[in-house]
Amino acid sequence: MNTAHFAELLDRRGPALARWPEADRAAAAGLLAASAEARARLEAALALDTRLRRDLAQPDPAAVARLQAGIARQIARAPLPDRPGPLPRLLALLRPAAPAGWGALAAMACCALWLGLAPPRAAPEDPFGPLQTLPLAGDAF
Amino acid sequence: MPMLLALPFPWALPRLAPGARPAPRPMTDPASSDAALMALAGNGDRAAFNLLVGRHGERALRVALRILGDAAEAEEVAQEAFLRAWQAAASFDPARARFTTWLHRIVVNLAIDRTRRRAGAPSTGLEAAAELADAAPGPEADAAAAEARAALAVALGALPPRQRAAIALAYEEELSGAEAAAALEVSERALEGLLRRARQFLRSRLEGS
Repeated sequence: MNTAHFAELLDRRGPALARWPEADRAAAAGLLAASAEARARLEAALALDTRLRRDLAQPDPAAVARLQAGIARQIARAPLPDRPGPLPRLLALLRPAAPAGWGALAAMACCALWLGLAPPRAAPEDPFGPLQTLPLAGDAF
Repeated sequence: MPMLLALPFPWALPRLAPGARPAPRPMTDPASSDAALMALAGNGDRAAFNLLVGRHGERALRVALRILGDAAEAEEVAQEAFLRAWQAAASFDPARARFTTWLHRIVVNLAIDRTRRRAGAPSTGLEAAAELADAAPGPEADAAAAEARAALAVALGALPPRQRAAIALAYEEELSGAEAAAALEVSERALEGLLRRARQFLRSRLEGS
């Protein structure tokens, strides 16, 4: 790790090195021990971090109380939550099959289509039909 | 036969004495998880939703305030976000996202939309900064602290809205990087990119102030 890469990681991940991945943390520790420039970069990043934590705007407690009261008032008059339509409910039902992949969902959809659209047979097939054509011993031809 | 006995035949139902009032509905348990409270809210339980507002209202307001830089607008946005959450409570699916991530996504989207709509208007970041600076006259230390806050507010006001939202979410305690990225609807790497540009800009603007 060089100083430029270290500076980029400081801007990306912040100066709390304890939260960095182990490999980067070890490389950063080695660089900090050897480079005054890297230490200066860390100090600058820490200064900005401290300032953000201290000076970012905080809501006024009165505003929080006002917000809670205002929402309670509006919710009391608001209609009940919208019920989800049939499509989201169907998707929720199918979600357990999602880990099996889109192929499984597509196969299920094909089966459902086939069962739903296949034309019914005109007459039930006689399972003994072929046997009746066989000649039997003693038959007079 | 025991199963038949368990069926709700009218003669098997408990009868109330004349004049007796039915037992009150059980109170919503304040210790319930967010997902459980949302499930109740989805069935129309307003008390359960109000518990969620009490639990997460301050955080939603803080994120909106840090993106918008204006207290009144932040209150409006936070309120609108909770009302949308109420309307959509029945379709909330805890298997897909945590309630806080979902709520933050609504807040962030509303706040960024509002920031973009007022893009032509004068910078409210500067106005907020001026208010902060004026709000703390008095001892020298207080004045210096107010000046520092004002400088930060001006610098934040000059950031693009998505970078400001990235900063607001990254400095929100209890929110992991993955949740912050999900609230902004970007990958964790893209969130790091936004934070990198924001920090570089802020450092250059705040040098010496």
